[in-house]
Amino acid sequence: MSTEKKSFSRRKFLQRGAIVFGGTVVASYLGCSPLRRFTAQKAESMDLPAMMSSLQPDFWFEVLPDNTISLKSPKIEIGQGVFTGLAMLAAEELDVPYEQIKVEHANTKSGLIDEMNTGGSSSTASLYEPIREVAATMREMLKEAAAKKWGVKASEINTENGTLLSGNNKITYAEIAKENKNWDIPKTPKLRPKSAFKVVGKSVKRTDLKAKVMGTAKYTLDSELPDMLYAVLLQSPYLDGTIKTLDTKEAEKSTGVVKVVREGELVAVVAKTFYAADSAFKKINVEWNTPNKVQQADLIKFVTVGNGKEVNIQKEGNAKSIIEDNKATVFKQEYRTPMAAHAQMEVNAAIAHVEADKALIIAGTQGPKIVIDTVSKALNLDKDKIEVQTPLVGGGFGRKAVKGLYVEAALISKAVGKPVKLYNSRQQEFQNSLYRPNTHHVLQAKIGQNGEIEAITHDQATPDMLKNLMGTGLPNKILGADFISAGHGASLMYNFKNKSVSVWNAEVPIPIGIWRGVGMFPNAFAIESFMNELAHQTKKDPIAFRIGLLQNDDKISVRSKKVLETLIEKSGWKTPKAEGIGRGVAIGNDRKSIAATAIELAIVEEKIVVKKVTQVLDCGISINPEGIKQQMEGATMMGIGAALYEEATVKDGQIEQAYFSQYPMVSLTDVPEIQCFILEGDDIPYGVGEPPLAPIAPAIAGAVLDLTGKAIRSLPIKLS
Amino acid sequence: MKIDFKINGKPTSIDVDPAMPLLWVVRDELKLTATKFGCGMAMCGACTLHIDGEATRSCSVPVESIAGKNITTLEGLSESAENLHPIQQAWIEEQVPQCGYCQSGFMMAAAKLLEEKPNPSDDDIKNGITNICRCGTHPRIIKAIKRAAEINNQNH
Ligand code: FES
Ligand code: FES
Repeated sequence: MSTEKKSFSRRKFLQRGAIVFGGTVVASYLGCSPLRRFTAQKAESMDLPAMMSSLQPDFWFEVLPDNTISLKSPKIEIGQGVFTGLAMLAAEELDVPYEQIKVEHANTKSGLIDEMNTGGSSSTASLYEPIREVAATMREMLKEAAAKKWGVKASEINTENGTLLSGNNKITYAEIAKENKNWDIPKTPKLRPKSAFKVVGKSVKRTDLKAKVMGTAKYTLDSELPDMLYAVLLQSPYLDGTIKTLDTKEAEKSTGVVKVVREGELVAVVAKTFYAADSAFKKINVEWNTPNKVQQADLIKFVTVGNGKEVNIQKEGNAKSIIEDNKATVFKQEYRTPMAAHAQMEVNAAIAHVEADKALIIAGTQGPKIVIDTVSKALNLDKDKIEVQTPLVGGGFGRKAVKGLYVEAALISKAVGKPVKLYNSRQQEFQNSLYRPNTHHVLQAKIGQNGEIEAITHDQATPDMLKNLMGTGLPNKILGADFISAGHGASLMYNFKNKSVSVWNAEVPIPIGIWRGVGMFPNAFAIESFMNELAHQTKKDPIAFRIGLLQNDDKISVRSKKVLETLIEKSGWKTPKAEGIGRGVAIGNDRKSIAATAIELAIVEEKIVVKKVTQVLDCGISINPEGIKQQMEGATMMGIGAALYEEATVKDGQIEQAYFSQYPMVSLTDVPEIQCFILEGDDIPYGVGEPPLAPIAPAIAGAVLDLTGKAIRSLPIKLS
Repeated sequence: MKIDFKINGKPTSIDVDPAMPLLWVVRDELKLTATKFGCGMAMCGACTLHIDGEATRSCSVPVESIAGKNITTLEGLSESAENLHPIQQAWIEEQVPQCGYCQSGFMMAAAKLLEEKPNPSDDDIKNGITNICRCGTHPRIIKAIKRAAEINNQNH
């Protein structure tokens, strides 16, 4: 990595971050304008979600009197283990056991919050260098202080276990932090090389385990403010529904009700307890205007290749004309993926306390900055008057990136002049939400005499996922298509001489959101299923077929090939199959990580039973291998559910699934034997949370093809 | 209506609407927040606690039905932070939780399962617990329950 890049990162991470000794901020930096950084990073990559989440990582390091280190994280812990990863990175340079680094969410009062969102699998990766640089700087500052005190050179001082040592001299970080008054900020020290790592790369226990097994971990629903009231918000179960008639008389009379708030479309029952609010809420009589009459068949029609605007995103050779010239003989297949819900276990929730000239919002969100922006606008209150606190988040998967309940909670709090806690019912969470959009894919290949693929094209139709994330149609205007999907998996990674990929921008009357893996989930299903069909068609082993197309010496090809070779070995791909077992494979690259999966399954009483899953992931450097395996297993289970069960559908302008019983997901009975292997294919860490999910569905489909000879081309997989 | 019961060993008396679901009594009145809300319709198991030793989805139990009974929540599963229940120990050893939101319900269901089946097979576990976890911690839950059985056996 060039030195220029390094200094850029140093400036960036000390932007508004600070090092605190003895209760005083001793180092803080002001950096270049956010706009310039935005542009610089935009140029660097088209990977918008990852880019947004690596923007302006601010943090706060403080040596506390008990010699622990407080680290305020700009990244949100949504279950992915980011706090543990950050503690390990800091420990690496600080010479403190990682458990002694107490990581918490930054709150916005100290101005220390990520500019954008936590998502895109990039939380730990984006802070890999910055956090170690701040920690190393801090260590050197402590050494300088001790050097002055003892009259020795800083280079003669060792650091160990939160203590500075030189000859017979010994002092803890906390002691020197308390007594030293003048601090110099040294040049950023050289980071320790990977070969010298003592913490990073070792499997360690997550730092949040004890709180989570004892039930002391606090989520939004567990948080409280003094004198707090509870609200239940009226939300339309129909898409775009508005109130036609409303009768709240009975609700107002209900026990414990403080007020029924009505401001235009905002209707909420506020009461002393949730139970009272909810009981009163059930007495509301409401009829809805339902202007949106969309049907499932419409959605399928809207999202179809050939409709809307085409944007070509990959072109090598002249694939399109070859396919066109050989129309009669090309191998052509179509694939569809369904709409889906996030169904995270913790519903969206927010606590708001709005006063005359300030507001406090407590909300488990993937994007605190979005909370500030939207609440500021709704209350017409300056952004710096709004404090956001983020408790732990009970699952996000993209759903907690935007459209939480913080704006509504703030408006209700303002209306009643008290702190208010608001959360969704499960039905509201399902029906008044954001959805992974359905997609359509057309793949075509010209197969030569010898079985070679002479040309291949992929056309994907998908709605724009960025619209809701950015709150504007801007990306669409600039690029003409949903480049989140385009940037995530639509392109063909294989070394085909002639290839062409286009994305068709579909408009749907459905609120669209980001879902774990973003574009990679649908794209990997379509492309990798097609690859399996091509191998089947040309009578080749599906892994050998892929390896044959990864012979170039670019990094992705080299790493992918190695991942597949490892998969052959670890999954026992070449061993004889047991009777009644089908085997399938798929691979994908996203967030610069490469994930491949081999599946063994059987069909029992018309039902697919996944028996064994082998996952191989190359995510660059691994920080906490056990944490990575945890993510890989989680992605595997979610991938099985997405392949076999999950589907949201619309009827008469309403999402049909309102309860868990109507939206089946994986359960303990679905657990197969899972083996996870991690390869290190690069010198920096890449995304972990999302990449291993996408290959599951096409690998399952491939195994069904292997077992039955029948190709699966839509999800969830239905055998008959 | 005044209702008397014991929660985590402590005699307790509250005066609320008898139809109020036990979940909200536990969380909002007694401020024991380990027990979670996931659906309110007995479909997810996030609110599982023990009533007289039976694993029960508290979102769907009116508080009046627990008069005179013993309630145990996750807060009362172990004697102290130093002396965790085998299920909790195993949950840490196997590093089960991700977001953690569903785990309280799973642990309460698992603690009950172990009482009934001290050496459960994979199938006993798979068929015995129908709670939902969206983070996909299922494989580790199965391992942890078996590990807890081992810890139990070593202790006896
Ligand atoms: S909250 Fe009780 S089962 Fe879901
Ligand atoms: S750990 Fe997140 S829902 Fe189970």
